[in-house]
Amino acid sequence: MYCYLYDEFIQENKRFERELLEVENRLTDLGIAGKISRLALFRNAEEMIRDEIDRGVETIVVLGNDETIRKVIDVVADSQVVLGIIPFGPNNKLAQLMGIPEGVGACDVLSARRVETIDIGTVNGRRFITGLTIPNFKAEITCDEQFRIFATTRAELEIRNLANLSDPCDGILNTVIRSAVKKGWGIFGRSEMQESTLPMQSLAIRSEKSISVFADGEELEGTRFDIGIEPMAMRVITGKQRMF
Amino acid sequence: MFKDKQESRSSQNGGNQTIIAQGVKVEGDFHSNGDVIIDGEVAGSVETSQSLQIGESARISANVIAKSAVIAGEVRGNISALDRLELTATSTVHGDIQTSLISVAAGAQINGKLTMGKGVARTSEPSVETEESED
Repeated sequence: MYCYLYDEFIQENKRFERELLEVENRLTDLGIAGKISRLALFRNAEEMIRDEIDRGVETIVVLGNDETIRKVIDVVADSQVVLGIIPFGPNNKLAQLMGIPEGVGACDVLSARRVETIDIGTVNGRRFITGLTIPNFKAEITCDEQFRIFATTRAELEIRNLANLSDPCDGILNTVIRSAVKKGWGIFGRSEMQESTLPMQSLAIRSEKSISVFADGEELEGTRFDIGIEPMAMRVITGKQRMF
Repeated sequence: MFKDKQESRSSQNGGNQTIIAQGVKVEGDFHSNGDVIIDGEVAGSVETSQSLQIGESARISANVIAKSAVIAGEVRGNISALDRLELTATSTVHGDIQTSLISVAAGAQINGKLTMGKGVARTSEPSVETEESED
């Protein structure tokens, strides 16, 4: 049993009217039409989904973008229902990584129902799927409570769960530190980016000053970030073109 | 040439390979179950059940244990390579070495005791404490 969750911006924007109608028709043709729930300003997405799960829904399909998925990730992971995506509009990096085309094409992927179980990362208890980044990394990392890492030059940090070169089914977060290292002397010197890679299961980031961390593109600010992984925590429908 | 080397390293970086590049410092007990490549700084101890590669720019103040190791940089600490140890012309080791098989290029510097033989590296752990850097 399917439940389709429409994000607010799709309903408000007339640009998507025609495409939405085509999607609904295609879902009916494929025999996978289901209940439609609509997100709105004062409606709690998690509560809506919990109610549907109590009524026997086994697949939640989100019509929206990465931001829409962020609203449902906690409840989907906790309940072990399958998550499907029909991407609309901009900011659909996650759908792209999962090999799901935009609009009507996504209906056929849903119908094929290729389900993968993937890991989910956590930062201070908040879940993320793709990864997190710190553009201006001046903090210290403690890894698996065994050793500390810090950049000695200007650097940026990226922690990948689901990405091009990262397998989201291996129970590991790939931590990448890109540091700018000066090569050559005096005016002839130039900076080269050097990439450090460490596979980890848990790490803690500590900073004296408040820093910005972007988890799945959403900004979080603070001085302490505890990062971990929940292995095989979420079931998602993926396409043949998935990048993992 | 250097860029190609970096790119090939990145593309190989599947599984559990760890790369500590220049511009990064690691302090503490670093353990890995995969291949490890170090071009940056490490202080503490390094242990891997697979191969270890220490680049020319690397500065290691740590006891090192690996299945096999290729060293091109500076190591201040004891080295235990279970299967094989290769010291290139640019390498400098301040510490004791235990290994089954060794290859030393002309120009490599060893300041310490060398113990060799089958099973030596498997049965004994390095006993000398890591020397403190004089910097």
